[in-house]
Formats: sequence, C-alpha cells, structure tokens
Amino acid sequence: MAYDVPEDLAEKAAIMKEFGRRRAAGEPVPAELYARHVNATNDRYTTGPEPGARIPDFVLPDQNGALRSLPDLTGSNGLLLVFHRSAEW
Amino acid sequence: MNGVRIAAVSYDSQAVLKEFAAKFGIGYPLLSDHDSGVIRRFGIFNFNIAPGLRAYGVPHPVNYLVAPDGMVTRKYYVPNYQHRVTASAVVLREFGAVSEDAAQVTLRNGALTVEIGLSSAKAFAGQEISLYAKFSLEPKWHVYGAPVPNTYTSTSITFDDPKIISQSVTLPEARLMEIPVLGETLPVYEGTFQGQGSLLLKFPLDAGRIMLAGRLRFQLCSDTVCEAPEAVAFELPLTIEPFMMPTK
Repeated sequence: MAYDVPEDLAEKAAIMKEFGRRRAAGEPVPAELYARHVNATNDRYTTGPEPGARIPDFVLPDQNGALRSLPDLTGSNGLLLVFHRSAEW
Repeated sequence: MNGVRIAAVSYDSQAVLKEFAAKFGIGYPLLSDHDSGVIRRFGIFNFNIAPGLRAYGVPHPVNYLVAPDGMVTRKYYVPNYQHRVTASAVVLREFGAVSEDAAQVTLRNGALTVEIGLSSAKAFAGQEISLYAKFSLEPKWHVYGAPVPNTYTSTSITFDDPKIISQSVTLPEARLMEIPVLGETLPVYEGTFQGQGSLLLKFPLDAGRIMLAGRLRFQLCSDTVCEAPEAVAFELPLTIEPFMMPTK
C-alpha cells in the first residue's frame, strides 16, 4: 500500500499538539482551534473495503491473549467489526 | 443478538485491552493491532498523525458489518470523529436489539401505550445514539401521521434539549384511512407500529448522568370521537462517559 504522508504533516502535528496541550491543562479550546484539529485529523478520511468487497484476512490477539480471526469471531449472521482510536483515551 | 457478534480493533496493547475490558465489563473480543498492520491492510491508517504523537498508528474510525464469509455487507463511518455512530446504535438500527441496561420509559394515555427507549445506557459527548418508540393502540383507535390539516395533530417525538444538537425521529408510512364521521381521508396509524430515530449529543458535555427531555405529541381518535391533542413530556437518563485526551 502506498505510503501517503501529507505535505502539511508538521503543521497538522502542531495543531494536534496545541489542542492536546490545552485539553490536558484544562484550558478552554477556541472553536477555531477545535475545528482545525478535527479537520486535520479527518483529512482525506479513507474508509477501507466497500460493501461487496472482502475484508483482508487477519489474525490478532484478544484481551486474553488468544489469537482470533474471522471464522471464530463471526456469528451465524456475521460480525460487526469496529475500528476505533484507542481504548486508553 | 440475531446471530451477529461484535469485535473491536484498536492499536492498544493486549495489556491495555485486558485492563479496559475488566474495568468496563466488556465481554466481546477486543483485538490488539499493536503495530497497526491490520489497520494498514484495511486501508484506513490515519496518515495525518505524525510519528511521535501519541495517536500515531490509529485508524480512521470505521465499522464494518461483515458476512461470515468475509464480505462487507454494510459500512458505517462519520468523518467527524466527535460524531461517531456508536456500535450499539448500529445494532439497534440493523437488528432491533438494545443493551439490557439502556433507558426506557412507558407512556400510557387511554387507548395508546408508547415505549420509548435509547440504544444504550452510556455514550460519549458528541456521539450519535439511537432511539426507538414502540406504539400500541387499542382496537378502533388511531393516531395521525403527516401531513394532516391543522385541525388535527400528527404523531411526533421531539427533544427540546440543548444537549441534543441534531435529531431525526421517523415513523413508518401511515395508512390512508377514510373517516366517514369526519368526512376526511387522513394518514393514520393503528394497532402496533415502531418508530426509530437518532440523536446527536452536544460536545463537550460533562461526564455523569444526564436526563434527555423529550415530548410525545399525538391525537387519539376512534371511529366516533376525537380526543384533545396531547403533548406528553418524558425524560430518558443517559450516562456520559468521561472523554480523555492523550496527555503527551
């Protein structure tokens, strides 16, 4: 898969750091900074396989260390596979 | 849950996921994609986040409904991460199931009984949650769909609550019924029917228990008599989870 680093990566990083700093410090976040942060994070949002396409095969450990893949995760009618940012934050 | 199971993928380590599952009592698999390899192979790696930032390696959030053979049947995503569709909202929309501890309220008014509930008991600020409304009418009574002349009141559920910044509640298509005593043909609902909706929560919201204030409007009529229109207020509790930003 092509590596698709945006040209404005450094500028985006500065916005994200400032947003994160204010939030962590409990300082108010101006609406404009918040909007820039959201736009920076969601720029060129890609969403992966389309309906009708197959998902890639995968094998990943679960919270108990067991290796899991689609055949043992799926129910009889399918699997809702959720990709989210982080459990920790 | 109608034969569909759930699994969640994140870039967290297995240790973090184990702690998270224990803390929140999560029974479904939390999969550790710690080097973001699977995230990359799905084509959803978020390249906007520079190496060195705590969030480096996260995906663009997407939910896939996958058939047992691996084919994507539906895909859910909202480009603004503050307005992500919750997994439980997906379950409600697709499968009509709600989590056991989700809030619900039952309103009774003569011939009409309405059960209104949320898809989950907890949500984050800025998320979209689902709502259902199960209506049940005694025989020979009906309520109105839309549009109706302004002498009648159509059926609606609305939230006049600043914590909800966007809402959409839809009822099924009403049946056109000729009502001889009124000399009109009007869209009506009879018997049992169900509406569904989605509510977009404001961001930010303080963590803790909140009450969402809504109003059910309707007018009950039989083949011989119409009651006065009603506007019944109700509240649904919801726990807002704390939103924690990365600290470094």
